[in-house]
Amino acid sequence: MTAPAAAPLSDKTASRVASVEELRIHFDTKAGRLHAVDGVSFDIFDGESLGLVGETGCGKSVTARSFLRLIPVPPGTYAGGRIHFWSKEARQTGGSPVDLLQVPASQMRDIRGNRIAMIFQDPGKALNPALSIREQVAEVFYQHRSEDLLDGWNGTPPRPIRRAAGQRSGKLEWLAFKVPPLRSPARRLRKRVDDLVGDALAETQIPNPRKIMTSYPHELSGGMKQRVMIAQALACNPDLLIADEPTTALDVTIQARIMELIRELQLRHQTSVLYISHDLSLVRRICDRIAVMYAGRIAEIGQTRHVFHDPLHPYTRGLLAAIPSLAHQRGELAVIDGTVPELIDPQPACRFHTRCSYATDLCGRLDPPLVARPGLRPVACHGYASPDELGVAADQLPRLDRDAP
Amino acid sequence: MQIREYIIRRVMILPLILVGTSLIVFTLGRVGGNPIAIYLEHEMTPDEVAQIEERYGLNDSLPEQYFAWAGGVLRGDLGYSGVLAAPVMDVLPKRLAATLELSVASAIVAVSLGIALGTFAGARRNRLPDHLTRVFAISGAATPIFWFAIVLLIIFWVNLGWFPVGRSEPEIFESISHPTGVYTLDALLAGSFTAFRDAIWHLILPAVTLGYGATAIITRMMRSSLAEELNEDYVDAARAKGLPERLVLRRHARRNALIPTVTVIGLGFGFLLQGSVVVEIIFIWPGMGRWMADAVLRGDQATIMAYVLFTSILFLVVNLVVDVVYAYLDRRVVLGS
Ligand SMILES: Nc1ncnc2c1ncn2[C@@H]1O[C@H](COP(=O)(O)OP(=O)(O)O)[C@@H](O)[C@H]1O
Ligand code: SF4
Ligand SMILES: [Mg+2]
Repeated sequence: MTAPAAAPLSDKTASRVASVEELRIHFDTKAGRLHAVDGVSFDIFDGESLGLVGETGCGKSVTARSFLRLIPVPPGTYAGGRIHFWSKEARQTGGSPVDLLQVPASQMRDIRGNRIAMIFQDPGKALNPALSIREQVAEVFYQHRSEDLLDGWNGTPPRPIRRAAGQRSGKLEWLAFKVPPLRSPARRLRKRVDDLVGDALAETQIPNPRKIMTSYPHELSGGMKQRVMIAQALACNPDLLIADEPTTALDVTIQARIMELIRELQLRHQTSVLYISHDLSLVRRICDRIAVMYAGRIAEIGQTRHVFHDPLHPYTRGLLAAIPSLAHQRGELAVIDGTVPELIDPQPACRFHTRCSYATDLCGRLDPPLVARPGLRPVACHGYASPDELGVAADQLPRLDRDAP
Repeated sequence: MQIREYIIRRVMILPLILVGTSLIVFTLGRVGGNPIAIYLEHEMTPDEVAQIEERYGLNDSLPEQYFAWAGGVLRGDLGYSGVLAAPVMDVLPKRLAATLELSVASAIVAVSLGIALGTFAGARRNRLPDHLTRVFAISGAATPIFWFAIVLLIIFWVNLGWFPVGRSEPEIFESISHPTGVYTLDALLAGSFTAFRDAIWHLILPAVTLGYGATAIITRMMRSSLAEELNEDYVDAARAKGLPERLVLRRHARRNALIPTVTVIGLGFGFLLQGSVVVEIIFIWPGMGRWMADAVLRGDQATIMAYVLFTSILFLVVNLVVDVVYAYLDRRVVLGS
């Protein structure tokens, strides 16, 4: 059976939050130019959860970081492509998107943590060991909600207080906040921030948020730290949440709870989520759609149940076969041999051809583009091309037998 | 609150450490030389020598001698300095104040300059400012202090005449009283701007000379630890929150980079005390270092022991401060203790 064609989400509006087009991110290494992300395209729709799945090293984190322009340059370069982003206003008014790779630095700072937020793989490393939880979560409010912090003040607050709300205070001002006349307005500001931080933490079902606020990261468990990261990420109610392997570093017993929490908060706030994982079975539980990534490319993309029931790309089939429970049903597929190929100065060839059991000569000299053909969702494999399309004889194409789901 | 308990605990074990230090000082004094060497002369008969030994209690058992000495220290009696021909306690406070003023001034130079330069270089890793800072730091660590002192002296005192040597101009010294012996402080207490400027003026050359090596060490440490911290995930996480680079650097990366740097600062202070001997001699600075050098050359035991005891105390106090700063920066320390 053929999966319904590319109509991405039938039950939701098809307006996009972000659209990645031909994204290329390269790194200069001693061995040569490493094509970490090499022509990646996908859309993220409003309110959906898109899973980005692939083996370690295939370029998932690099893709994720480029949304916030967090690639270290050098050695990295944004070698091409666009990441269009529609903020809430742009979506409601049908306005035009911004290109995240082009916006000026100041605008990028307004987007970071405010319109697009990110959760990192290891919460133990992503929280600053020297700062209290309160200080770290509060930063988001100071940075993006400084106006709100001064709500309900009679008249204009004193200038040092306004500067404090925008975290522009100098050391001397901090001293001044400890004595009258600035002491009580400073306390008032602090209390307002405490309330917001407490609420943000409570959202993530952290027990006793007021107590957690005063602790330091090393005093919390991994799951607790990840909840803090989630609270911090969702504090400004962003349009897009990027979760880069948010449970990989956590104890297995709490992985499920953290995933459910992300899902629940996503649905409650109608946030779009880009959920990154190397584990297909995890992503299945919480993602509406899945993009399978291989060696800096998208192999295929489609709705979760379609990808699971009718995997098109040989790599996806291999991944599914590697999941124990499914291997029984699909006994004919072996675990994929080999590892991700060299990303350095790649040849024009299918990235998967060294490991693909369907590969033909053609695969070794022609790079399959990611295209949606009639009746099929987007997949990057010559097996779905017509001979005319490539100008080759029919027997040169790989033959992928597709069984009914 | 935890930090306060930590400080109290650290201060409470200080007396214990001091007892240990005094034992070491005493033992070194007895092992390292003849305590009455400075009073002996060639033509003395064995009887005369025995008389002197008897007078200084050298025939008592070692524990008795230790308690006699330690008791004296507690009563403020540190013995008699042969080289100065005066009781050690009469001279020590002024000398100690002079050394303290010089070493604290160079520590201030080294810490502020070292942290600033290290931050500057670490945030611009492998770019021109980093390379220039590296040259500055490596030459600072490699330059012999006596040579550097003489070069500065020739340029700024002999040729340009910008800075003086010594500790103050006599007439300005006479114009105010010196209750603490730290001239900058005395000038402030007396409210005399002229005296303050004079004190600072005399302080600059020796403080810079003495501080250069420590500045170099702190710069290098700060630079490499900052460069390392900037690779940490929490730095990107801070950027991902939308913080401006200024805050990412100051509030996040630099704070953690200071942790290893602070340790080096504590050790570097010992370095300063060593260097002060040479600097005091070259810049004619009447501190402990000069006195000590004379004492060592002439075997003046009472002075040497007093010097070692007080520099140890100084070092202990500085390291206590360092530990407290360390605990403040790295909360894990407090929890772990
Ligand atoms: N800062 C960097 N310098 C050099 N290479 C990098 C850098 N960051 C990532 N890479 C390379 O890019 C590729 C993709 O990495 P990444 O996106 O982190 O993979 P993953 O899919 O596991 O998240 C890897 O081969 C990695 O070595
Ligand atoms: S293009 Fe060829 S090598 Fe690549 S996945 Fe398809 S069949 Fe395999
Ligand atoms: Mg990754």
